[in-house]
Amino acid sequence: MKKLISLFLALVMVLSMASFAAAEEPFELTVLLPDFYSTEDFQTENNPVLDAIEAATGVRLKVTFAANSEYGNTINTTLADPSEKQPMVISLTDARGTSIINSARAGAFWDLTDFVKDAENYPYLAAGPEGVYNNVSVDGRIYGIYRSRAYPRAGIYYRSDIAKEAGIEKEPETIEELTALAEALAAYGKEHDAYALNMVSYTAGTISIITCAFGAPNTWGIDAEGNIYPAHEDPAYLEGLKWLRHLYEIGGINPDFVTIDSTNWDSIERTSKAYMRFDCLDNCYRQQEWFETNEGVTDQIFAMIPGLKKADGSITIWPQNPGFAGEVVVTKAVKEADLPKVVKFLDWCNGPEGQMLLNWGVQDVTYWLDEDGYRLAAPADGSDVTAQIHLIQHSLNQLGMNVPGDLCIPAKLTALRQEYNDFNSTYGQYAVTNPCYPFVSETYVAFGSMLDQIISDAAVQYISMQIDEDGLRAAWQQWSDEGGAMITEEYNAAYHASLGE
Amino acid sequence: MSTAAEPKRLSKREQRAEERRIRKAMHGTGPEYWRRLWADIKRDKWLFLLLLPGLIYFIVFKYLPMWGLVISFENYVPFSGVLGSEWVGLKWFQYFFRSPSWTRYLGNTLILSLMSIVFYFPAPIILALLLNEMQSLRYKKLLQTLLYVPHFISIVIVVSITFVIFGSSGIIYRLTEQLLGQPIKYLSDPNVFRWMIIGQTIWKETGWGTIIFLAALTNVDTQLYEAAMVDGAGRLRRLWHITLPAIRSTIVLMLILRMGSVLDTGYDHLILMANALNRNASQTLDVFVYEQGIKNGQYSYASAVGLMKSVISVILVVSSNKIAHALGEPGLY
Repeated sequence: MKKLISLFLALVMVLSMASFAAAEEPFELTVLLPDFYSTEDFQTENNPVLDAIEAATGVRLKVTFAANSEYGNTINTTLADPSEKQPMVISLTDARGTSIINSARAGAFWDLTDFVKDAENYPYLAAGPEGVYNNVSVDGRIYGIYRSRAYPRAGIYYRSDIAKEAGIEKEPETIEELTALAEALAAYGKEHDAYALNMVSYTAGTISIITCAFGAPNTWGIDAEGNIYPAHEDPAYLEGLKWLRHLYEIGGINPDFVTIDSTNWDSIERTSKAYMRFDCLDNCYRQQEWFETNEGVTDQIFAMIPGLKKADGSITIWPQNPGFAGEVVVTKAVKEADLPKVVKFLDWCNGPEGQMLLNWGVQDVTYWLDEDGYRLAAPADGSDVTAQIHLIQHSLNQLGMNVPGDLCIPAKLTALRQEYNDFNSTYGQYAVTNPCYPFVSETYVAFGSMLDQIISDAAVQYISMQIDEDGLRAAWQQWSDEGGAMITEEYNAAYHASLGE
Repeated sequence: MSTAAEPKRLSKREQRAEERRIRKAMHGTGPEYWRRLWADIKRDKWLFLLLLPGLIYFIVFKYLPMWGLVISFENYVPFSGVLGSEWVGLKWFQYFFRSPSWTRYLGNTLILSLMSIVFYFPAPIILALLLNEMQSLRYKKLLQTLLYVPHFISIVIVVSITFVIFGSSGIIYRLTEQLLGQPIKYLSDPNVFRWMIIGQTIWKETGWGTIIFLAALTNVDTQLYEAAMVDGAGRLRRLWHITLPAIRSTIVLMLILRMGSVLDTGYDHLILMANALNRNASQTLDVFVYEQGIKNGQYSYASAVGLMKSVISVILVVSSNKIAHALGEPGLY
């Protein structure tokens, strides 16, 4: 017996030695991420960020980047080939795509439900609120770690210096004042070969912000009788479209906006071809900082309006996202034995060290600290390091989930960054959420994207004065006939069931 | 005497009898058929060897992938595989025909194809005839080379150039605005969309399309032209009575092949030109397949519509071939 035990112990020792030896070999983790710098190179060998991650975790990342504008296509073609060669970890920008839900149900992703509840082993993952995890769950199971995003984030920002020249000093607080500002900017723009509102082919954000400002719900609303109804059936939605149509009519919007790719959105502002934008407000301070770095601007030339007062004094704002944007899933290319290791790595990504490496990289290479310990995006001597940062850091932040919130070293707050942070805490209460986010409508899963397109195309056609109100209503009817009515029904059933009716 | 290389001459009656015998052997499945096939293969083994690469190509890249069509009768989920996915029968076909928009997709496809046949199809023929009439051979060769160039320009580039010159700050937009007093919205008006597509196709492909017709024209016996000139036939008469009849069968062949792709509009060109304002005109069956299959991840629905499209295409090829036979042309087969 003793002999047997000692033999057993010897075996255990040998095995643990072997596993120790194996631990020295880095675990190779293949990852698919959306790419916002698809025209630029990514350094795979001797990359200080990847080396630092390997040193900290024993995981060597092998990253495949795919252009963000075509990321949905990449995901669908990647999921169509479930083999060993599939990336082990995929960062999804949309957690509700047809192929995502179908693949999750078929078992293409590992079920992470038990991991994210295990606070002892995976503290950072378990720090996420259950409600948000529910929003990315499929049939009650969690297949992905959500990618946390600031909430509410969206609003209106404009060039305050141009507004002053156009005769508007005061920041708008009501819709009437916004209209006056837009009209003044449009008139000013006519003389300077520019437009008041910066619109591109991506219109969903712009339309949501203005319709919510008029009081329409966010995608889906709940009416007086307690039933779910689509946003476009709300009269305020049409008011919002009319506002944009009016601006288009007076020449405040580029008549070619539908043909302009959204990658030009920033450059239109940077060349002063448009003065106002309805989008994520973090772009406001980014644009200000761009002008400071590249144009030598010293004054504050941008202003942001998070919310507008309606006639009755109330405020509603579109929140841009439900607190997260997509999720990170682990595919079955990971062997079951390796799964805890991979989840542990994802947990580490959410900790302060992981967040810092993924979002900002390595100190003195891709970020710098000032004497007060604040993070700087460029060295103090003012040399241009954009190319270097893109080469090394690229879009690695797309793997960042930041479930426990932002744990990175903060940057020094500029006036606009401070305003943005304040706005997130002050205006959070006015954000209108989409009540249907936790529910799955089978019809929407199957045909949602085509139906959404009917609504958004009709809105754009109405704004561009190609169709009138009758045409708009005909498109809404078409939406209803082609499946919209079924979706409304399914959401209502799920909603009432969730209330326990 | 009767070797493979030099078949003996047969009288007409013998020839017909031989044909009947071959046809009987070909269409039967009896031992006679297999014996004859084996004898043929043995006799022409080197010719059959030449056929082999083509045969392998068709089996590997055309016939084997057809198994994939099974997914159009399933609710296909890649992870479950073709065998593990749920069988749903004709669900996707029914779904397509029940959705109110299928007529729009089919209508857009047919209108665009019809416009392409009427306006684009004759373009290379006319250009080939014009080139054929050129006297200076060097000038002709130079011109041909220049005409082939657009074919090698990616459609993405063509669309980008279009955006620049037809956009609201482009030269053509400004010019029409000056001439007509009001602008034509080339890039966003759904009524102009199809003309833009046809125009771009003509610009890009006409030169390349002349190759096959120019090849057919080289076979025309020059003595016929000389004889016609002696008889006093002018240029137009020679064109009408000699050149056109000589390439007629090529034209018919090309037309039949074109019929097979009446429902193929391609999707890349269309989605590049499409936007929220002209989408109603750009939605063809190919765009639908792309949007459902690749963008939306509805693999089964997309392949069901693709399969349906192929079936209609086969019917169109077979029937247009029959029509060609009825009109006394050799046709495709």
